[in-house]
Amino acid sequence: MGSFAGRHIIDTADLSTSEIMELVELANRIQAMPREDANQLATGKILATLFWEPSTRTRLSFESAMFRLGGNVLGFSEAANSSVSKGETLADTIQTVALYSDIIAMRHPFEGSALAASTFSRVPIINGGDGAHLHPTQTLGDTYTLLCEKGRLEGLQVGFLGDLLFGRTVHTFVRLLARFGVKMHFFAPEGLNIPQYVRDSLIDLGADFVEREWTTSCIDGLDVLYVTRLQKERFFSEEEYLRKKNSYIINREALANAKDDLLILHPLPRNEEISTDVDKLPNAGYFRQAEFGLKMRMAIIAATLGVEV
Amino acid sequence: MRIERIHNGIVLDHIKAGVGIEILKLFPTEILRTKIDYASYVESPSMTTKDIIKIENIDVNPETLMKLALLSPSITISIIRNGQVQEKITPEIPPVVEGVITCTNPKCVTLRENYLISRFRVAWSEAGKIRKQCAYCEHITK
Repeated sequence: MGSFAGRHIIDTADLSTSEIMELVELANRIQAMPREDANQLATGKILATLFWEPSTRTRLSFESAMFRLGGNVLGFSEAANSSVSKGETLADTIQTVALYSDIIAMRHPFEGSALAASTFSRVPIINGGDGAHLHPTQTLGDTYTLLCEKGRLEGLQVGFLGDLLFGRTVHTFVRLLARFGVKMHFFAPEGLNIPQYVRDSLIDLGADFVEREWTTSCIDGLDVLYVTRLQKERFFSEEEYLRKKNSYIINREALANAKDDLLILHPLPRNEEISTDVDKLPNAGYFRQAEFGLKMRMAIIAATLGVEV
Repeated sequence: MRIERIHNGIVLDHIKAGVGIEILKLFPTEILRTKIDYASYVESPSMTTKDIIKIENIDVNPETLMKLALLSPSITISIIRNGQVQEKITPEIPPVVEGVITCTNPKCVTLRENYLISRFRVAWSEAGKIRKQCAYCEHITK
């Protein structure tokens, strides 16, 4: 994994398709390792998790990944607990924390912040989400999930349902899937369609995609349905939010026409867009997805630290 | 309307109609103490309508040329010396522009961390317009 040692992971567009598959292979090897062996891979190494905005899942996933590799973790989980509240710049924070750690995973509310941070860091920066822009480790974990669950990417029919405008997980994921010959169907409430720059990228990549209004019949023929949360704060009124939220609920009834092996994914956390009555179905892949995401983050940390696996 | 010849200075021609006022803002305020001719929506065989600006006793540096081209890709700049056209420039737009454009995405990191130098990828869109995309947040600034 020499090619990854010391590299920043800012955008999956920076990775070749063969490099993406290298990370998948590495995640597979880590998955197959006895836990006590994996626990030796990053002994003595320190991961800094710098989260300027609250996150439970992504931060804990990074921290768990590092602990499972035998390394240590330090950091902060919101700006109020950091020197940012004293007016420190991103550049100064990064340059200082890079002295205390071997790798930095960061989330920041401003778009492009991880790229900016990487220009000041002597250790690898892993983008854990920059505003509504990118979320590459989620995308790599989701890609790993599809490969583990479906055995392939090419030719899959993948639907994306929910807030596609502000959903950073979608912005990164669709552009990766476009490179692997996935047919994509976008179902978003009015005003929450994929942003223009993502649409332009998909066209440049020659992606096969359609944008349609959601009805439960849209589920026919899909291999995967990727659901995202409608973020209440994005709506102008409570009424509009409730009306749209209620039209985008996946429950057992909505799955009546779905393929038997439809895989339902969600980056989590969810609100009510996937009813809990779906959780017990084998189609519900979102908790397995979180586990695959953990293995992929272990692979990313090991690869960028230059650890031999 | 009559635009007079100038002896020394620059003539900015083939400016996209209506953009001339933005072009003037690119120059230092000292130009307000010199002679400026500004004609807007002038009929043009090649452009239907265009703006023209003549400014006396001023030079343009490479950075200003690039900014001019970004605002109006069709612009031509004639350098006038002793009443003669010394040079006619059609400025080119580089594929990457640094420190010139400000991102219009209020959530872009370059607006929060103002020591960062803006960086834009510039390309022609299929519609024949210039596409300016922030290298940090990917937002397209019009």
